[in-house]
Amino acid sequence: MADSYSLDCEPTTRTLLRRVLDTADPLTPRRPRSARTSAQRALLETPSSKKLRSQTKMTARRRSHKARSIDRLAHIQAGGHLEEQTPRTLLKNILLTAPESSIVLPESVVKPVPAPQVVQTSRRESSRGSLELQLPEVEPSTTLAPGLLAPGRRKQRLRLSVFQQGMDQGLPLSQEPYGNADASSITSSLNLTFATPLQPQSVKRPGLARRPPTRRAVDVGTFLQDMQDTSLALAPPGDSLRTPVTTLPTDTVLEDTQPFSQPLLGRSPSVQHSLPCPSHSGAKDVERAVGHRTWSSGPRLQNSGPGKPAQLMAGKVEEVGALALGFPNTSSNISGEDGVEPLQNGVGEEAEGRMKEGLSMREVEEATGAQGSARAEEPEEHTEVTEAEGSQGAIEAKEPEGSSGDEDTPGRTASPELASSTPEFLRARRLQFPEPAPPPSTAVLTSEPPETLSARLPPRTRIPGPRPRQDPYKTGLNHYAKLFSFYAKMPMEKKSLEMVEKCLDKYFQHLCDDLEVFAAHAGRKTVRPEDLELLMRRQGLVTDQVSLHVLVERHLPLEYRQLLIPCAFSGNSVFPAQ
Amino acid sequence: MALSTTVSQRKLIKRKAPRGFLKRVFKQRKPHLRLETSSDLLVHLNCLLFVHRLAEESRTNACENKCGIIKKDHVLAAAKKWFHVYNTFTALPFVL
Repeated sequence: MADSYSLDCEPTTRTLLRRVLDTADPLTPRRPRSARTSAQRALLETPSSKKLRSQTKMTARRRSHKARSIDRLAHIQAGGHLEEQTPRTLLKNILLTAPESSIVLPESVVKPVPAPQVVQTSRRESSRGSLELQLPEVEPSTTLAPGLLAPGRRKQRLRLSVFQQGMDQGLPLSQEPYGNADASSITSSLNLTFATPLQPQSVKRPGLARRPPTRRAVDVGTFLQDMQDTSLALAPPGDSLRTPVTTLPTDTVLEDTQPFSQPLLGRSPSVQHSLPCPSHSGAKDVERAVGHRTWSSGPRLQNSGPGKPAQLMAGKVEEVGALALGFPNTSSNISGEDGVEPLQNGVGEEAEGRMKEGLSMREVEEATGAQGSARAEEPEEHTEVTEAEGSQGAIEAKEPEGSSGDEDTPGRTASPELASSTPEFLRARRLQFPEPAPPPSTAVLTSEPPETLSARLPPRTRIPGPRPRQDPYKTGLNHYAKLFSFYAKMPMEKKSLEMVEKCLDKYFQHLCDDLEVFAAHAGRKTVRPEDLELLMRRQGLVTDQVSLHVLVERHLPLEYRQLLIPCAFSGNSVFPAQ
Repeated sequence: MALSTTVSQRKLIKRKAPRGFLKRVFKQRKPHLRLETSSDLLVHLNCLLFVHRLAEESRTNACENKCGIIKKDHVLAAAKKWFHVYNTFTALPFVL
């Protein structure tokens, strides 16, 4: 039943309702049917999309159903909801009241179709296919009231993905002519935050399941590129997010806006139509970006010659960079050839590096600090040309130069623009990759030799390290300090412990002096126990009532007592001998 | 008062005398003298008693100040009180 409805016939509410009314028994409740349809939807969808996304879509659609039902009261599911009361009467009323040319008519469905093919993603297409199969009547509704749906969805748990989906479905469909730039820009910005949810969406078809990893990798690059392009080329109208960028409009860059906004649009179809494409195009884009970077240095040759925006960009950057680039970067060539990844890193890195400068006193500090950093990094690059870090450093070094060069020329607004673009870069980078710290080139390169040195040194220093810590005198004093803390029966400050050690030091000094005097007084050069007894007597420890032996018995363990107190042993011997 | 600066009372102590340490200290300070056998044990005993006195005195000082923790000043006061006893014979001016 449901199949025939959904698949065969033209999916309008009127026809649907008519059929329902015709076929259904007057006594049977509507509920089973709606349940069946939903179940079939689930069945149909689950195989086609093995991902959660389908579920989210389902939920979204259902929500949309509800929303629409509120609007139109015509939907079947809504009927299902209301059927307890008066299903048939409701349907009849709906039939009566519903306009002949219902909003759900396929024309509205057909209209969006070409647009997504041109503009929208493959996931869109795939979703389209699945939608047509299962829920023909659902889709137009999404096109109908995207604005209505979005706020309602946001309150739900799955709002992110749902919202994104809304973006995918609603925006391009409803606002396709003028919303392209918006959609692309927003999706690009969304790529940032919701990169992961987006990918599975594209993998509607099981055969394309392998795609995602590459797409993800591309997403970073493309996104960076997008950000760069958009930021450099001024945010297109309708970009509320790019306000900081738009604050610095430049005449020179304005020309570039067109070509740069184009790649956004132009690339998106390629990305979406054929899934294998995106990685390639993304790579190309990144390479273009690389081209922009390295073009200023001149010698590097690019594969992506045809890319107009790239050349334009390069030209612009050349203008900028040629002023400041006194020394050619031989390493930059290699860095450019190194590959996409390091360059991406470099881009982001540079962005961060400049971000730090740019945030605080952009103009002046950047001019000085960036130059300094560039100079500092130069030699390092030459040392490690082949490494990706080196390439990053090269790019980094180059960029600041360019910016500094801009600042040298007062009229240029490109440099502030670049600086302003950095925050976005930074955001992008922070959202996208948490990988490399900004100064790896400088930090790593500079720290490497010390690290190696330290790696060698520590064994040497550590071997003697613990030993001096165990300064015997200190440990001995510490031993008695611990005794002090035992006798004190109170918590004590560490400072007081140090004080105790100090006192013990003094005590030993005086003790030795006293013993020396006693021994000298007795005409000996050997300190005997009598001297110590005398000392203790003078100290008031040994009195007539309390002899030395008593003290020994009180305070010393048995082993020591045996050594100190003479005792008779078998064999008519006394130990210790007196 | 911070926990890190305070040291709780020790529950367990080593009763073993650091004899080597005592001998070394004496030899270090008076290289021309020698300690007779087991004199170092008496030195250890003397040191124990000294520490005991010092601890008790500083404890009483802390209690007089209504302080739950023995502070540096308490130890210093106790040391100054007791050092005139320990320093009698040589009568060297005691300066901490």
